[in-house]
Order: sequence, then structure tokens, then C-alpha cells
Amino acid sequence: MSIEEQYRTRAKELLSGGAVKMVIGYSKGSNASRRRPLFISSPDDVDRLVLDDACIQNLSGYLVSEGLLSDEKRVAVFLRPEGIRAINILAAESQLDAEQIVVFGFDVIGNEVQALKVIHVEEFSDVINSIKERAPEAAEEELFERIEKMSPKERFSFWQEEFSKCIKCYACRQACPMCYCRRCIVDSNQPQWVNTSSHTLGNFEWNIVRAFHLSGRCVECGNCDRACPVNIPLRLINHRMAEEVLGAFDHFAGTSKTQEPVLASFKKDDSETFIL
Amino acid sequence: MAKIGVFICHCGENIGAKVDCTKLAAAMGEHPGVAVSVEYKYFCSDPGQESVKRAIRDNNLTGVVVAACSPRMHESTFRKACAEAGLNPYLCEIANIREQCSWVHTDKDQATEKAMDITRSMVEKVKRNNKLQPITVPVTRRALVIGGGIAGIQAALDIANAGQEVVLVEREPTLGGHMAQLSETFPTLDCSQCIMTPRMVEAAQHPKIRLLTYAEIESVDGYIGNFSVRVRMKSRYVDINKCTGCGDCITKCPAKKISSEFDCGLGKRTAIYTPFAQSVPNIPVIDKANCIYFKNGKCKICSKTCQCDAIDFDMQDTFEDLEIGAIVVATGFQVQNNTMYGEYGYGKYPDVINGLQFERFASASGPTAGKILRPSDGAEPKTVVFIQCAGSRDPSKGVRYCSKICCMYTAKHAMLYAHKVHGGKAHIFYMDIRAAGKGYDEFSRRAIEDDEASYLRGRVSKVWQENGKLMVRGVDTLLGRPVEIAADMVVLATAIIAQPDAKEFAKTIGIGYDEYGFYNEAHLKLRPVESSTAGVFLAGACQSPKDIPDSVAQASATASKVLALFSKDMLEREPVVATNNEATCAGCWGCVLACPYNAIEQKDIVDRSGRVIKRVASVNPGLCQGCGTCVTFCRSNSLDLAGFTERQIFAEVMGL
Repeated sequence: MSIEEQYRTRAKELLSGGAVKMVIGYSKGSNASRRRPLFISSPDDVDRLVLDDACIQNLSGYLVSEGLLSDEKRVAVFLRPEGIRAINILAAESQLDAEQIVVFGFDVIGNEVQALKVIHVEEFSDVINSIKERAPEAAEEELFERIEKMSPKERFSFWQEEFSKCIKCYACRQACPMCYCRRCIVDSNQPQWVNTSSHTLGNFEWNIVRAFHLSGRCVECGNCDRACPVNIPLRLINHRMAEEVLGAFDHFAGTSKTQEPVLASFKKDDSETFIL
Repeated sequence: MAKIGVFICHCGENIGAKVDCTKLAAAMGEHPGVAVSVEYKYFCSDPGQESVKRAIRDNNLTGVVVAACSPRMHESTFRKACAEAGLNPYLCEIANIREQCSWVHTDKDQATEKAMDITRSMVEKVKRNNKLQPITVPVTRRALVIGGGIAGIQAALDIANAGQEVVLVEREPTLGGHMAQLSETFPTLDCSQCIMTPRMVEAAQHPKIRLLTYAEIESVDGYIGNFSVRVRMKSRYVDINKCTGCGDCITKCPAKKISSEFDCGLGKRTAIYTPFAQSVPNIPVIDKANCIYFKNGKCKICSKTCQCDAIDFDMQDTFEDLEIGAIVVATGFQVQNNTMYGEYGYGKYPDVINGLQFERFASASGPTAGKILRPSDGAEPKTVVFIQCAGSRDPSKGVRYCSKICCMYTAKHAMLYAHKVHGGKAHIFYMDIRAAGKGYDEFSRRAIEDDEASYLRGRVSKVWQENGKLMVRGVDTLLGRPVEIAADMVVLATAIIAQPDAKEFAKTIGIGYDEYGFYNEAHLKLRPVESSTAGVFLAGACQSPKDIPDSVAQASATASKVLALFSKDMLEREPVVATNNEATCAGCWGCVLACPYNAIEQKDIVDRSGRVIKRVASVNPGLCQGCGTCVTFCRSNSLDLAGFTERQIFAEVMGL
């Protein structure tokens, strides 16, 4: 039995037995290579669930939709390891109760979809630690290295050019599971810290603020990067910040649901290499 | 409509020489919202303050900017003046055009330009300032003194004699600290124990002092006037209420060969012991690591000997929770271990000792009952070499600072040696003789002139053993020639260093420390006994190396600070505290973790039926110190700091 079939069967069992009130998964998209999120609450709909190597979107952000989990009922969700890490962070930041989440875990190695056996968030620590060990690579290693080698001035002009494309649509924010604030700082206008118009300064401000707000929290699921309508390589910024917190504080985002946020916590054995 | 008054101070030449104050006043007068813009030589003076008050009344000012020195210096002065003129003090701000402007620039035009930017930016801030009211909190009139050395005892006695309650906590089994270990004290040569032990007894018997020995501070929470302190009472294995201090158990204890800490390793003690005969309280403790019963499960001789049934091998550590209004930190110092000087042979040759060990030899209660004898064979040393600055003022191997007391105690050692060993010769290698203090220089001259100590200005390069002598090779830089002395004993004037756990302890109580682990005062000159944490004061050598007179003086100074604090029923605190916008708070609790004062709590927002709608952060204004850490952390910008609101800061930045 394929993993897709196994998960359909399990979804059917959970929904019909009332163990979960909803399953969040993937369905066919607008073409063969695209998948779209699917929310089903009836066991009759499980056949619409699809699981293959095109299922790349991180669905964890839907769990913090206003009111979804407030009835304390369980929700099942299809998640890759990044998604499970995101759940850990959301739980650590009190946005959800990890007990309410039933995980349909899977990973895509090459083109092959593999099932992750366990179902509770805390049982995935081995999986998460193994990712930490193999240190996530940037999607485009070559481009990443090229940017690393640039002088600060060159790098600045590279990003200036990239950010000049930004139209401030905030699709990156909407797609990101970590951007759950009810009022984003860009929507705060007393004072207006971040310029709303899409000129260079405002674009820089927005993207840098977002990078900082995600440092130590981003799991590099790629949602923002794929959502960007003007193809700004946001993954590169996030990857750089993730490397930074890993190197400076040995902090790998989302290893457990009790992990303290890296910028608000203090460890006595931090290497503090950045303090002169 | 804003009516801001701008008052530009020349600060004599300090600002006036580098900033064109007339030009600045004219420029500010043109700025929108500025009703008055004037200059004066010294606004902090009485006529200066009067003119500010008059301007407020005459023009109905809505805000005041004083362009002058640092707000650390005179913010409170001008805020007070504003309050006297009927303006809320928090509508007054200082634009600092001195420290980072006139003092650091040479070009008058550019400095004036910068002063305009700074002042304008502050005018923009003041336009958005709000009237704030001070927060009042009650004061617990009970002081905690940490450390039972001379500084701690003095502070405790001074506070208690003024009628206030004191809890005196000492981590060793007895009061006394380092002073109890000393022989005679400079510059009067009175016996240390003779002046110390009555003080110890007085502190222990004082009705207002609660003495907790063999106790350590576990945690400190809260804030000025309202600290909650948890003290760990380490298990003595001797019931303090039953023990009469007869000492039978000590006599009978079979583990007799334990190196005595009090005698700096020169004497021996038993496993159940009091550090010295005059210990206060005179109640022994069992040293668990060396007790035969704790090691082998057999012995209990002390327990069998004790007629009061005071020995309890099952005793556990207990905790005391104290409500405290003010804390005096008097945790003292340690002496540096001199083994880092391989060339002096400390730790290798038994007759190379440090200054504190010499004190024990010279002390009547010491291991030799006051006779100066060398540790190796017990013979009387005929020649002794003292090496000053063995650790101090040595950035390469020791510490950079001067330990302050060594010049004096080395002179004293030479004197005591001359008095006790007739015909003995003392040689002292020194870098400088630092004898500033009442009667100090006279004292060190006495060592040279009356007691014939030979002072050699220079350093020692090597000490080695040859034919039963310690050969000391050094240089006499005044004569410009090398010196070699065959000595019987060498005494190193070791550096004073902070307690090894000083930095950890600073974190427990939340005070700052310097690179060496000495505690930081709030202002070296003007607030030398306050720590940077309100309600925590510093006494004695935990702040910097000090001799006894200085430690006692500082301890009395802390007592006066504590008593001033206790003179009020309610404390007024700065209303600069954080507030949270509950509507936009996402409840991520980053601020709860980020807050160094535990001032942020979780708060449930419930609907009419009591159902939790959301959880948000809530700042306790009594605990908040206004540091702003939470504000910088908050991603949704829900937290804001009164007096430094985002709107104010933004206006300030935009005003530049």
C-alpha cells in the first residue's frame, strides 16, 4: 500500500472515529506539478487527499487560524520535518497546544515520499536532530556562496536590486507560519517605523525587519520564497540568519516545544564571539 | 499647541567655548513650537533655575528642554525646578550638548551644528512627552547584610543601632572574615582579634540583628524596598539550639589532620570544628568531606561525647524566605594563589609563604602562638625577604590594579618581625611605597628608620633553594646593581582578588561587576556605595581592594543609605515603566523571558462567561525597572515604555 493510501485510510479512521475534527492535507492543484491545501472534516472526502513529491508547502500556519483550535479538539495535518519544527516553535511561543496536533509526517528524499512513523510532535526529536546534524543546505548553494564572497558593498547592491522588485504585497508574511501577529509592525502607524510605499528604503526596512523577526525562528520551509510574486530569493536571507544563530548560539529552530526563543533567552555557555 | 522652552547652558567654558550658544538659541527660537529660547552661563545655578521657573510661569510652557550636560548630572535638578514651577517634571528633558558634543569637537561651527541637531531632536521628543506620575511602593524595613567580615558587621551594627531590623548572613561557620585572621593592624599595631571579636559578639547579641551563619543566598527577587530573598541554611550537623559550645566533640574527634582554612593551611583542625577559638557563634560544624562517619559509615564519636544530644547526622539543608527592604553586599575578597610565579617557588618551597600566612604566624592565636617560625623545620628565620606586588600591578602574570594594602602590611610585617626576632634582618623588594592615609607614611618610615627594614627598589627575578637557604636574586634599581640574598623565609605580598564566585553571585543578586569580579558602584565619585541596582549597596573589599578603615567607613556609609531608605513609609519610583497593548499582543511570551526583572506576567482575557479568549502579557509596574528590553523584543510593537514611547523616540530620530 502506498503512503498516500495508508494516510487516506488513517485520515478516514480518525475522522470517522471523531479523534480529529479536521485533516489538513494536500489536494490536486491547477496543474500536474502543483498541489493546493485541502481541509476536510468528513471521512467521505479522504479520497481527495494527495501525497507525492509535489507536496512542498508547509501547512502548519493554518493551525493558528483564529479560533481553529480554541474548542480543544484535535486537528490532523500533513507535515514535512520543517513543518514539525514549526509546530514546536508555535507551541513554544504559546500559539497552539502541541497535544492537539496529530501529525501525518512525511519527507521527500529525491523523488520518493517516505512516511515518518510517529504521530505526536514530541516524538520527532530524532528526526529533527538528524536534520540539524546534516545542516540544511541552501536551495541554491552556488548563489549562496557567491553572495557570501561578495564585499559588503557588492552584497548591499545585490540586495538593493533584489528588494527594488518588492511591491510590498506582504505575501511572504501571509505565507509564513511564524507571522501570526494580529498586528504586524508594518501595520502600526503611530509611529510609522516602516515606510509603506514600495521604494528602496521602505523595501529594505520591511525585508530586514522580517529577517530579524525570523532569526532563530525560521525553519526554512520555503513558503515565503515560493509565495513571492517577484521572485526575491528570501530563502537566502533566512538561511543566512539560521546559520548565524546556529553558529553564535548553537540554536536550531524548533527542536522542542519548550525551546526558548534565541533572542530572548540567555545561556551562560554562549560563545559570545560577537562581543568584543 | 506646544509651547516649548529651550534653555541653553554655557556650562562655563565647557560648552560655551565650542558651541556658539547665541546662534543655537536663535536657531531654536525659530523652530516650530518653541516659545522661549534663551542662553545663560550656568542654568544649574540658583539664578539659572529661577529663570527657568519664571519662563515656565510667564509663558505657560508645555515643555522644557535644557541643552546642557548629561542627564545623569542634572536631569533631576531641572525636573525638580519644573515641578516647583507647576510643570509636570516628565515634560522636561535634557539635550546633552556637552559630553558627546562640545567636549569632543574642535571645530566650533560643526559643534554648533551638532548641538542644533541634538537640541532640535529633543524638542521634537518633548512635544510628545506625557505627564507622568511617580509610582509609590511600600518599604519593608528590614535590611539584609551579606557577609560577616568587618564591613558586614559594621553595616549591620550601624543599621541595628538606629533601631532597624537586620539579617546578617555569613557563609562560613563563624563571623569574622579576613580581619579575624590578622595579627596586628596598621598603622596603630593594635591586635586585630582584640578589636574584632567584641564587634562579633555585639553583632551576635544585638536584639535587632538576626544572625545566620553557615548560610548562603540562594536567590533574590523583587526590587528596592521589597526584595524576597531565599537563604540556604547549610546543614551544620550540629543543632544550634542544643549545642552549648563546650568543645568536647572537637577534642574527641579522631580526624585531626585536616588542613585548617583559617590558618591558611599552616595548622590542622578536626572534622567537627569551629574555625578558631573565638568563633561567633561558638558552635561547631561537621566537615562532611573529611568526617570519618560520612566517609566510612562508622565513628560517631562526637555524637557519643555530646551531652546535649546536639549532633544530628541526618540534618538537611533548609531554606529561609526573607522579606527585605535593602541589601548590603559585603562579601569581601580572596588572596591570589601565587603558584603562577614559578620563579618564586610558592607551593614548591615550604618557606615561601604569602602575606596572609605570615599574619597567621604573627598572630597570638595562630599555629605557632605568635612566634615567627619557618614552616619547613620550625626554626626562627634570621633573614626574611618580603616581595611586594607579587601579583598586583603585573598585567602579564597577576592583576593590573594595585591591591592597596600590601605596602602597609609589608611594612607592618617587617616591624612585627623586628619586634619578635631580635637581630633578624628584613629585606623588602618594592616597586613604589604607596602609603597614603592617616598615619600611613609615618608608619612605613618607622619600619625603615626604627625597625631597620632594608627597602630595595626593584623586582625579584628568581628564588631557589641552596644549602638550606632560599636564594633570592633581584635588582636594586636605585643603586643599579643586581642583588642576591640568602634568606630563611620569603613572604609574597599577594594580590587581593575578588571572591572566586563573585561574578556568579553578582548575577544572583543582579548587580554589575568589573573585569576582575569586583562589584561596580553606581558612580565612582558621587555614588560610591550604591550598586547600579536600586536598594543594593556595597561595603568593603567586594567593591575594590580596601584596608580596614576604608571598609568600616564604607560600611557606615551604606548604613546611612539604608537608613535613609527606611526613613520613609512609601518609596517613590520613576514612572518609566513598560505598558502592553493587550489588543495587539500576540501572546508569544518572548517578553516574559527577556525581562531581567521578572516583571512581566501572563494575563488571561476572559469573556463574560469566564472563558479565556486570549492570553496576553501584563507588566507589573512595581517590578518594572524601565530598561526597555521587552520593547525591543516585541515583534508586534505591543509593548511601549512610558517616557520613552515609540512615538517619542521616532520623533527624536526624525528631528535629527
